[in-house]
Amino acid sequence: MKVTGTPDVDPYKGEREGKLREVGNQAVWSLSSCKPGFGVDQLRDGSLDTYWQSDGPQPHLVNIQFRRKMTIQDIGIYADFKTDESYTPNRISIRVGNHFNDLTEVEQVDLNEPNGWVMIPVLDIHQRPVRSFMIQIAVLSNHQNGRDTHMRQIKIHSPVQDISAAKHPSFTSVDMSQYATLR
Amino acid sequence: MVIQEPVQAAIWHCLNHYDYNDAIFLAERLFAEVGSDEALYLLGTCYYRSGKPKQAYTILKNKGVPSPQCRYLLARCCLDINKLSEAESALVGNILHKPRSQDDMVNEFGDVACFAFSLLGKIFSKTERTARATESYRRSLKLNPYLWSSYESLCHLGEKPDPVKMFQVNSHNYIPPENVASSQNTPTFLQVSNTGSTTNTAVTPVMSDYCTPVPDNSSTLSEIQQHLFSSPYVSSQPGNTTEIITPSQENIMDMTPISNPAITVSIMNLSSSAPAQSAKKQFRALHSLSPLTPNFGVLPLDLSPAVCGQLSPLSHTSSSNLLKVPGQEIKTLSKKPMTRRSQQQVTTSHPKPAVFSQSGNTNSNTMKDVQSPVQQIGNNGLRRSTRLFSASSSSVKENNKSPTQKKFAVPKAPAKKTKSKLSRTQQELNEINKAEMGSVETKPPPGVTTCQIQVELLQKQSAEGLMTLLQDIGRGYLALAQYDCKKAIQLLSSLPPHHLNTGWVKCQIGRAYYEMADYQKAEKVFMELRQLEPHRLDGMELYSTVLWHLQREVQLSALAQELTELDRDAPEPWCVTGNCFSSQKEHDVAIKFFQRAVQVDANCAYAYTLLGHEYAATEELDKALACFRNAIRVDPRQYNAWYGLGMVYYKQEKLMLAEVHFRKALTINPQSSVLLCHIGVVQHALKKSDSALQTLNKAIAADPKNPLCKFHRASILFANEKHTEALQELEELKEIVPSESLVYFLTGKVHKKLGNTHLALMNFSWAMDLDPKGANNHIKEAIDKRYVTDDEETGTGDEPSVLEDPIEGSSNDSSLMEADDVQLQAMETDEEL
Repeated sequence: MKVTGTPDVDPYKGEREGKLREVGNQAVWSLSSCKPGFGVDQLRDGSLDTYWQSDGPQPHLVNIQFRRKMTIQDIGIYADFKTDESYTPNRISIRVGNHFNDLTEVEQVDLNEPNGWVMIPVLDIHQRPVRSFMIQIAVLSNHQNGRDTHMRQIKIHSPVQDISAAKHPSFTSVDMSQYATLR
Repeated sequence: MVIQEPVQAAIWHCLNHYDYNDAIFLAERLFAEVGSDEALYLLGTCYYRSGKPKQAYTILKNKGVPSPQCRYLLARCCLDINKLSEAESALVGNILHKPRSQDDMVNEFGDVACFAFSLLGKIFSKTERTARATESYRRSLKLNPYLWSSYESLCHLGEKPDPVKMFQVNSHNYIPPENVASSQNTPTFLQVSNTGSTTNTAVTPVMSDYCTPVPDNSSTLSEIQQHLFSSPYVSSQPGNTTEIITPSQENIMDMTPISNPAITVSIMNLSSSAPAQSAKKQFRALHSLSPLTPNFGVLPLDLSPAVCGQLSPLSHTSSSNLLKVPGQEIKTLSKKPMTRRSQQQVTTSHPKPAVFSQSGNTNSNTMKDVQSPVQQIGNNGLRRSTRLFSASSSSVKENNKSPTQKKFAVPKAPAKKTKSKLSRTQQELNEINKAEMGSVETKPPPGVTTCQIQVELLQKQSAEGLMTLLQDIGRGYLALAQYDCKKAIQLLSSLPPHHLNTGWVKCQIGRAYYEMADYQKAEKVFMELRQLEPHRLDGMELYSTVLWHLQREVQLSALAQELTELDRDAPEPWCVTGNCFSSQKEHDVAIKFFQRAVQVDANCAYAYTLLGHEYAATEELDKALACFRNAIRVDPRQYNAWYGLGMVYYKQEKLMLAEVHFRKALTINPQSSVLLCHIGVVQHALKKSDSALQTLNKAIAADPKNPLCKFHRASILFANEKHTEALQELEELKEIVPSESLVYFLTGKVHKKLGNTHLALMNFSWAMDLDPKGANNHIKEAIDKRYVTDDEETGTGDEPSVLEDPIEGSSNDSSLMEADDVQLQAMETDEEL
């Protein structure tokens, strides 16, 4: 599929509405390669100024491994062609699975000169958020055929699942919800 | 010994005026010069007051702690730096060093015993020895019924102390001693003071001294001191700088507990320096008439000798940090104007303020825990005293017929209804004044005796006045601690308005509403509280939770900003900030702030509870459990931590555990309808539907306004196929909460089960109308889908028209209609596929 990141895509919208949660903190992140000082920390530090720079052959991989099976609704990637030019990813493949040898591609995204957040929905064949232990984001190619890639931020969003949704329905009005819990 | 007194007095002077650097420096020199216990205590106090408990602890530990005060100070330092076992051994001794019994402690610590017991109670409650903790607190209250914090702690531990018995003036021999400083000078003096009860006869001769004609207005400090020094048993000998003998000191001490310290200490200081005239002069020079200290500024202060008793009430004002102000102030005020005048002159001398504020500071240190109630009651006392004072001073003025250049910094005594006792005391004051005037002019001794009796009477009355107040407040507080919230509100609201409008009382009332889950009223009360006392931090975390429940995000963030500006070292602002972010669903940030609150104050159980809730919201259930358990460790009666544990277990589907924890929370707070509601839900999940319904009935009985109980009852009835009853509940619920989409959703489900398709769809569309983008949307869609597929199986072509007609008829939103149509069509196409 083809997407173009726009400046007005808001990655925090789902969180604010209470529907999505950023679960990257619950995962172990690893990269196929990186330049010293431009690694996982820069990828996950919440700052759009720092970035991950790869340093090896393509495809460049970001591996995200969870302790337990997570439901992933979408993945947000910040890419900016104006600043990164030939380092900007062009084609990204999202693979999910249980472990490294069990990954299957669920999504392939073509980016065309993105300049902002790109939210990639990760859905299975039933159009439901995918459930897996591991996600792999593979950068297959860059703009202008660049060798290495810059990735500034990645966000993983999981739907807020109230296991007891049926038992503890979330009320819409304040009158009811104020009695819903003690705090 | 000569060198010690002026230096010690200088150090106390520095301490009282918060010049800690100088105080520390001087104390260190003094200690190097004279390595005595008192010097050690003084040095320790300097360090402790300047906020350096660790240094105080180190020096006290290294030098050994022979004297009781040093041990008490060491215990305080240990408690502050969290060395509980050392604190305990300092106070009580441990197995190795012959543990002391309570009576031993009373004898040893003397006046400090009440504070020592209070401290001990804290140590015991932190180390989970609740029985001993309650014992210690009770003892401390018995020794000193003014220690509100002991009473509060008793309530927190779950005990039910009887406020009437606790706050009794007569049941103790307690005379708040303010001679802590003086005790440094003469240990004998301390012992003397411990012998306690007033002796009328001993007092009389001293009184005569005070009833001697007052020096004229222009008397200087030295004259005043000289006057004071005149032998008590002889009529005034101005210019006589004889040393006052100890018996007189004792008498003075016994006579007026509050006024004593001033006089006695000054006497002490001065007398001990008497032998060395040069030292005395130096002393005087050091302690020239102090400028208006905060203590002076509080009450109407007339420094002119003619007006009686400003200073002594002032000195008592300093002790107003203690709760004895009303009593003692009134008593001193009421006492002989002569006495006061001379006292005033005496107390104009520097040592008095030094001593008093010092004692005031000491007391305020002990009162650390309970600032607001003290302040509130202190204010009360102040108010009373000002009322009395203005009455008395005016009467005295008339009597004296002396021009007074008063610069009355009189806080306008609010025209509030005074207690009958007070008015009585005022009248008696006037009478006394007149009587005293007459008596003074004629024959000192009889006047003195009547003075004495009157004084004691007034003393008692004022103390009893305060005690009555404390009893009322105590009853209200006890009800609140037992979570009998309605009673608590009733009791607290029946306090006189000038107390009702104080921060502490409003905070308790707000808390009572909060515990009852009546958040609207709680919000109102807390708003009033904010207007009254914007500086108040206590109870703000509860206010923030109330706002969180009501989802008032703007007010929450405003509150958070104001409070963090006010004080960054208290846990409450951080709790408020955390709640603010939590209400915006930014749970990670909220976690950060709650962690900060915990860092700032590890003893804040509520911060742990809130942190636990945030972890539960972010599905980090193990961390949530740990936090709730921490909260319970700090405060076993924190029922919302027990509730939190129940919630987490419920989320993990460990239903038995969930029920156990909910029940435990319920034992602490039996009237919480929310808790009962949750228990009902858990029971239903455990398939115990009958007991679930019973519990829910109880919940509804406890709080008829709680719509959630009815909702859950309706859903249980629906699950048990009792559709008509469920419908009835839901109809009632619609009346109460007309804008809750889930109510309509449930009604729709019931109708669907009953086969009323049109009603069902009507309700579904209402539900979707109320909550178009809601998280429950997919449930609705699923239901619609299922509904449609069911109908698909039965009928075929009729559906579109059947479905569409009611939709057209009922739904107001055309977009909804389209949405429904689209869904139906999509589903139909799916079905075809």
